[in-house]
Amino acid sequence: MSALTQTAPARLQAGESGETSRQYLAFMLGGELYAVEILRIKEIIEYGALTTVPMMPSFVRGVINLRGSVLPVIDLQARFGRAPTQVAKRTCIVIVEIHSDAEDAASQSQTIGVMVDAVNEVVEINANQIEPPPSFGVKIRPDFIAGMGKLGKQFVILLELDKVLSVDEMASLAVQSASAPAAEQALLERNAGD
Amino acid sequence: MSSNPALNEARDTFFAESREMLQVIEDTLLALESNAADDETINALFRAAHTIKGSAGLFDFERIVRFTHVVESVLQRVRDGAIRLLPPLVSLLLVCGDQIAALLAEAEADTLAKSPAPHPNTDAHGAELVAQLNDYLAPAAAGGALLRTADPIAEPVPAAHGGVASEHWHISVRFGPDVLRNGMDPLSFVRYLGSLGRLISVSTVFDGMPDAATMDPETCYLGFEIALMTDADRQTIADAFEFVRDDCALRILPPHSKLAEYVQLIAAMPEDDIRLGELLVRSGSLTEAELAAGLSAQGQRRVPGEAPPQLGEILLGQQSVEAPVLNAALDKQLRVRERVAQESRFVRVRADKLDQLINLVGELVVASAGVNLRALALKDAALQEATASLTHLVEQIRDDALQLRMVQLAETFNRFNRIVRDTARELGKEIELQIEGGDTELDKTMVEKLADPLMHLVRNAIDHGIEAPEVRAAAGKPRCGTLTLAACHDSGSIVITVRDDGAGLSRERLLKKGIERGLVAPGDQLSDSEVFNLIFAPGFSTAQTVTELSGRGVGMDVVKRNIQALRGVVSLGSEPGRGTTVTMRLPLTLAIIDGFLVGVAGAMFVVPQELVIECIEAPALDLQQDYLNLRGEVLPFLRLDQMLGSVGEPVATRNTRRSSVVVVRTGSGKAGLLVDSLHGEFHTVIKPLGKLFQNIRGVSDATILGNGEVALVLDVSALVGSAATRLQGGTVPAHGSRALAQAV
Repeated sequence: MSALTQTAPARLQAGESGETSRQYLAFMLGGELYAVEILRIKEIIEYGALTTVPMMPSFVRGVINLRGSVLPVIDLQARFGRAPTQVAKRTCIVIVEIHSDAEDAASQSQTIGVMVDAVNEVVEINANQIEPPPSFGVKIRPDFIAGMGKLGKQFVILLELDKVLSVDEMASLAVQSASAPAAEQALLERNAGD
Repeated sequence: MSSNPALNEARDTFFAESREMLQVIEDTLLALESNAADDETINALFRAAHTIKGSAGLFDFERIVRFTHVVESVLQRVRDGAIRLLPPLVSLLLVCGDQIAALLAEAEADTLAKSPAPHPNTDAHGAELVAQLNDYLAPAAAGGALLRTADPIAEPVPAAHGGVASEHWHISVRFGPDVLRNGMDPLSFVRYLGSLGRLISVSTVFDGMPDAATMDPETCYLGFEIALMTDADRQTIADAFEFVRDDCALRILPPHSKLAEYVQLIAAMPEDDIRLGELLVRSGSLTEAELAAGLSAQGQRRVPGEAPPQLGEILLGQQSVEAPVLNAALDKQLRVRERVAQESRFVRVRADKLDQLINLVGELVVASAGVNLRALALKDAALQEATASLTHLVEQIRDDALQLRMVQLAETFNRFNRIVRDTARELGKEIELQIEGGDTELDKTMVEKLADPLMHLVRNAIDHGIEAPEVRAAAGKPRCGTLTLAACHDSGSIVITVRDDGAGLSRERLLKKGIERGLVAPGDQLSDSEVFNLIFAPGFSTAQTVTELSGRGVGMDVVKRNIQALRGVVSLGSEPGRGTTVTMRLPLTLAIIDGFLVGVAGAMFVVPQELVIECIEAPALDLQQDYLNLRGEVLPFLRLDQMLGSVGEPVATRNTRRSSVVVVRTGSGKAGLLVDSLHGEFHTVIKPLGKLFQNIRGVSDATILGNGEVALVLDVSALVGSAATRLQGGTVPAHGSRALAQAV
C-alpha cells in the first residue's frame, strides 16, 4: 500500500501536450509490468478471506465479501493461460469496475476483484507514449492489450480490462469447464481412484 | 407543471389508482357474468369509470377523458335501466377497460417522455370501440325527451319569476388555502369545466392575495367567477370540483336563476359586494341593471352573511334540487369519505424504500450473528444473555420486515378470471376457474415473478388439458371443465398448484416423444413421475397441433427455469382422463432464507433449511457405494467433497473425521449429502453471485457468515441432477442426458 502513496511525479501538462495524458496503476504479474487505467479502479485490498467456488475454471479464484457484497476474484495469470498465481506477501486484490460489452447492458457495470502479485505505483502516460501492441511476441491474447506504454526505457502492457474480464466470455468458459466431458471424466476417475 | 413534485406525485397516484379502478371494473364485470346485476354493482362500475374520467381531467389527459366519457355514458344508461347488461355489452366493456388501460399506459409514457407521441393504433381501436358503444347510446336520442324530464335539475329554470336574462350557468368558486399544497392545480378545474361545455368567461378573483412580502407562494388565494354554457346538469358541474369539495367554497347558479340567488351569492362570498357585482357583470351573468336592482334590494332585506356554506347546504338552498338528487349526492359524499377512511389504513410506500429497509435488516441479521459468535467465544454469561435477547429482537424485526413485503396471492389469481374466460371462449370451451387459498401471502417480488409461469400453466391447461365440451360430455364428465388455482403454506414454504380436470397426459405419448427426442433410451424403465417430468425438458411439446396460445414447446422448460430461479421446485402429476396437476413449491421469501450450515473439505456451505429432512451419522461406508440404508430405505447420497471439486483441503484428510449425512428432499424423493461437519441452522441473507457464476450448477447463491466470510448456498436439485447425468452418461447422448437431468 505504501507504493500507492508515492504517486507519480506531478507532470500535469494537460494544457500543453494535449488532452490525452492519463493515469494508470502499474502492477506486477509473473515478473512483468502491467497497467490499467486508474479510473477503472475502485480500491486495492489485501489478499485474504477468499471462498473458493467449485466447478469454476482455474482463473476464478473465488469470491470475497467486500462490505456486504459478494465479488468474484479473477486470477489474471490463470486468465492469460499461465499457471495460477502463488499467494505471496505482496499479493493484492485490485477491485475494478467492468462494463458489459452488450449495448443494452451498458448501464450495468460489474465489480470484480483482480489478483496481482504486487501493486507498484500510479504512473502518467501520454497518449503519444503509447505504441500499438506488437503482432506477436507478447504472450497474451492480442485483444487483451490496449497498447504498450513507454515508461522511461521500459514498456508496460496496458490491459483492455473490458476484454480481459469480459463477464460473458468468462461465464461461457465456466460452462465449458463445468460440463466438458474431460472434467467429468476427471471427476469419475477421482471417484474410482478414491 | 411537470416540474412540480407534488403534482407528479399526485399524478403517480392517479395512475396507480386508475389501474385499481380498472381492476375493480374488470372484476365487477366478470362477477356480473355469473350473477344477476344488482344496483350496487352497477353503481360501483359507474363510480369507477367516473372517477377515472374525473381524475384524468384533472391532469389534462384529454384522450382518457374523451374515451372514458363514452363508457361512462353507456354505464349511465345501464344505471338508469335504459339498457341491460347483457353478455355482449359486458364483453365490450371489458375490451373498453383494456383500452383505458392502454390509454393510461400511453399517458404515463408521454408524461415520462415529457412530450406526447402519437398513438395511431390505440386511437383507431378507440374509435372502433366508441362506434360500438354508440350503438348502445343511439336509442338515447329517441328516449331523450323522456330522460330529460326524469332529470329535473338539467331543466333550465324558466326565465320568469325574477330570473335573470343570461342563458349560461354561473359558477363561483373560492379555493381553500391548502389546494396547492394538496397537489391540485386550480387551473385544471377550469380546464375540466371547459370540457363540459363552452367557457364564456372566466374572471380570476385574487382579492384575498396579500402583499408580495407577506404572501406565501404555497398558499392558494385564488377564486374564479366562471360563466359556462353547457348541457350538463348541476351534479356534473359540482362533480368537477369533487377533489377539492371539502376545500373550496362553491356556488353554482343555473341559467335564468332568480336575481335573489345572485344577491345571495354576492353576499356569501367574502369579497367586497360592489367588486363582485362588477365581476358578475363582466362575466355576462348579470346585466348592469340587474346588478343595480339586486344591490338595492339587498340594502333592504339583508341576507345573513353566513360562513361559506357546504355543498349540501347550497344544494338545499336551491329549489331546483329535488330531495332524491340531494340524497344521492350526500350518499355519494358519504361513500367517498368512507373510502378515504379505508385508504388511511394503508400507507403507500415506494418499493425501493422497502427493499432498502429489508437489505439493512438483512445486514443486521448477519451482524447480530457475528456478535453472537463473538459472545459465545468469550464465554461471558451476561454478554451471551444480552446477545441472545438482541438476536431474538432482530429475528422479530426480520420477520416483521419481511411481512411488509408480503402480499396476498388473491390479486394474482383473480387476474386469471379474465384470461380463463377469454381463452376458453376463444377455444370454444367451457371452463370455470376455482381459486383456493387466495389469502395465502407471498413475497411481492416472488408474486411478480410467478405471474409468467402461472400464465403458461393456465394457458396450457386450457389449451391442452381441458377438452372441448362435446368430448367431455362423451367421456361422461360435466361439460364445463374446472381449472383450480390453489395456494397453501406447507412447512415453511408455499405450495401453489394448477389443477385441471381435463384429459391428463398420455404416458405413452410422452415416452414416445422422449425417445424421439433422445431424452430417454428406448429400453429404459421410467417411473410415472419421471415420464411426466420429461415435459419440463427444453423444446418438449406433446400437443398434436400448435395453436396460437401454446404448444410450441417453449413453455414448460421456461416455467421450470423460472421456478428454479425462485429457488423453488416444480413437479407434475397426471391421471389419464382425470386431469393434470402442476405443483410448485416455493420458499416464502427471496431475501433471507433459513439455511443449514455444513462443512465440506474445510469450506462452509449452506443447504436451504426447508430441504433438510434430518441429519444422520454416516455409517462405515463402502467406498464403492454411494447409497446407504436409511431405516430400510435405499438412500443414494452425494459425496459433496468430490462433487464440489478442489475446494479447500485435499481429500486425503477427510476420512480422519467423523462425517455426517444430511438427508434432503429432492424433486421426487430423498437424497443424502455426505458432509464433514454440521454447524446447525443459520439465518442467511442471500447475496447474488452475479453473472459470472450464472451457469454454475450446484451453487445457487452466496451468503455472508458471521465472521465475514462468504459461504455458498447449494442448489441441491442441480447437484442431484448432475449426479444422475454422470451415471447415465454412458448410455444416453450427452445433450439428452443434460435435458433429463434438468427434468429430474
